[in-house]
Amino acid sequence: MLELTFFNVTNGLIIGAFYALMAIGLSLILNLSGVINFAHGGFLVIGGYLAFTLRPYIGFWGALLVAPFLTAIIGFVVERLLIRRLYGRDPLYSLLLTFGLAFIIEDGTRQIWGANGLPFSVPEALMSPLSTQFFFITGYRMFMVAMVAIVVGVLFVLLRYTRIGVRIRAGTLDLETVAALGVNVRALRSLNFAVGIFLAGLAGVLAAGQIGLEPTMGDSLLMPSFIAIIVGGVGSLTGTLLGGLLIGVASGLTAVVFPSASEAIIYVMMAIVLLVRPRGLLGEEGMMS
Amino acid sequence: MIRPFAALDRRTVIKAGAALGVTQIAAPFVISARGETPIKIGVDNPLTGTYAAPGKNENTGMQLAVDQLNAKNGILGRKVELLIEDSTSGDAGTAVQKARKLIERDNVDFLVGNVNSALAQAMAQVSNEKGILHIVPGGHTDGITGVNCKWNVFRVCNTTRMEANSIVPLLFNTYGKKWHFITPDYAFGHTLYEGCEADLKKLGGTITGNELTPLGVTDFSAYLIKARAANPDVLIVLVQGNDMVNCLKQISQFGIEKQLHVAGTQQELESVEAMPPEARVGIWMFEWYWKQPGTTPGLDQFIADIRKRADGKVPTARTWFGYLTIHAYALACEKAKTIEAKAAAKALADLEMPPEIKMQPNKVYFRGGDHQLMLSAFIGELLHKGDGDPENLFKVNHIIAGDSSAPPVSETGCTMQIPA
Repeated sequence: MLELTFFNVTNGLIIGAFYALMAIGLSLILNLSGVINFAHGGFLVIGGYLAFTLRPYIGFWGALLVAPFLTAIIGFVVERLLIRRLYGRDPLYSLLLTFGLAFIIEDGTRQIWGANGLPFSVPEALMSPLSTQFFFITGYRMFMVAMVAIVVGVLFVLLRYTRIGVRIRAGTLDLETVAALGVNVRALRSLNFAVGIFLAGLAGVLAAGQIGLEPTMGDSLLMPSFIAIIVGGVGSLTGTLLGGLLIGVASGLTAVVFPSASEAIIYVMMAIVLLVRPRGLLGEEGMMS
Repeated sequence: MIRPFAALDRRTVIKAGAALGVTQIAAPFVISARGETPIKIGVDNPLTGTYAAPGKNENTGMQLAVDQLNAKNGILGRKVELLIEDSTSGDAGTAVQKARKLIERDNVDFLVGNVNSALAQAMAQVSNEKGILHIVPGGHTDGITGVNCKWNVFRVCNTTRMEANSIVPLLFNTYGKKWHFITPDYAFGHTLYEGCEADLKKLGGTITGNELTPLGVTDFSAYLIKARAANPDVLIVLVQGNDMVNCLKQISQFGIEKQLHVAGTQQELESVEAMPPEARVGIWMFEWYWKQPGTTPGLDQFIADIRKRADGKVPTARTWFGYLTIHAYALACEKAKTIEAKAAAKALADLEMPPEIKMQPNKVYFRGGDHQLMLSAFIGELLHKGDGDPENLFKVNHIIAGDSSAPPVSETGCTMQIPA
């Protein structure tokens, strides 16, 4: 039992790291632009399918680098053409727009690549478990965790130490003042949106190696990511990271005693956090008001 | 100071809800419209969501059958027209709404659907209430031709009990007697598990555990950790669709198939094609397969016709379900000499499918007592890579007649009430 618990906590951390990657992208966009991006799962799908298409030409590693950038460019265009028009309005407008966009992306994927799933293998070097006993710790899963750690680390450094990063963080707290200080808020939001979508694209390529590549693959990953934000706290990227890891571990621990509730537990956690500490564990006060 | 957020009030949420509601009542997609008074067939199957691939494949088979009928004499000299609606993959409310629309507004003569068992059962209530003949091509849960059987409802695909009966003895003799299950936590999974459990216990086997997994789960690692810790002889995977792809992909990444035998009951070409080669392992049952041992009348032509319509892809069991559904309806109407629902239903009961429609050995017919098609089960092994064709990913070792895998009508719970 002890061994099983240890296995599932470790496993939960691995899954949680992936949720955190998705959630941080969502959180970046939510914090600065106030857009609840329901199309985030759709951009994840685009990232995965682009990697599938590019892979025969540039290999897995090339696709891992290029596909998220292409996804970010698509995100940038979508922000410029559609989303920025709704910034001054009720957030429900952008929520509905991205909700519709999610359907369009899903059906567009189906039209271009077909309704059936597509096979996507991980590189042979990462395919095997690291040991027979810890069979669930595969090379690929370790690689995913390392990727998440690197990307999140780089992002945090950028936000902390670069001029743009500081502006994004300041804009999260008080956009009007940032604009009054002469910062081009429109460009800042576009760039920030593209970075968020880059993370979705990267999550898509990583997920394609782990789960089936098919047009609805983003749906089931989107909700845990939203919950990671709510649990961790809106407005705090560290909170989002913590939220992702926490729901992964909670899900893993529940699987030991009551496997069929391992998905439901994350919703229970969300409910408890909302009741006890509505702004989330590390959230900014008043962000959800 | 401003915040990027503004409050969401109740009115805006209601407006959003209303806007979403409107998307549910769009016009049907009329595939063909020929002849003066065509016979209208309403198809209410998933075109979006997780079951879009099987739904579309069933529809491709139906469209081929309709075109073949129209190229000859239609049905009773009348042209045939398909009216296709998207039922969604899991929303019974939408499926019912579309079924009502097809029947009440579009006046269809015959209803087809659904891939999803729950949606199929909900549609059956509507078709029964309206007295419309209805064939379920691909929803497996037993009740459709069991306790909830209806005079107007027929089913093409297997019941879960037929699936279990067709493969459990072979798995038991090949792989061992200690089994661990990964079962989808909804009606289909529960009945399939019960069937396997009953058969296994009859043979003297034991169950080390049953992991119930929510539909649409992406990560199976927690369940696989438990399953491996139980140390069974064989891990039986009962999940379907994308869940099957995810589960087998993770099984192969964890190397579990090298320590335990991995197998299951129902497997589909749609899922197998979505897996990477290393995940294609184990003994499974297909409900129909395009590459059969020996010569099968009509099969080569069927494959060629479907390849032309499906970007070169071969027919799957789903394509064949759709194809047989339309031809079975046509045969019943021709036999009854009318499209009137009760007469056609009576003609369809115990009607044997001709060789070029059944495309498999053994007798294939709709059993009169429960309206279940007696179709063969194709048992064999998955192949890592295509044998002779990239899509030939399964080696058929045994073909078992539906008559021998189906429990007798008396055990299905069906009491067929035929109105006067």
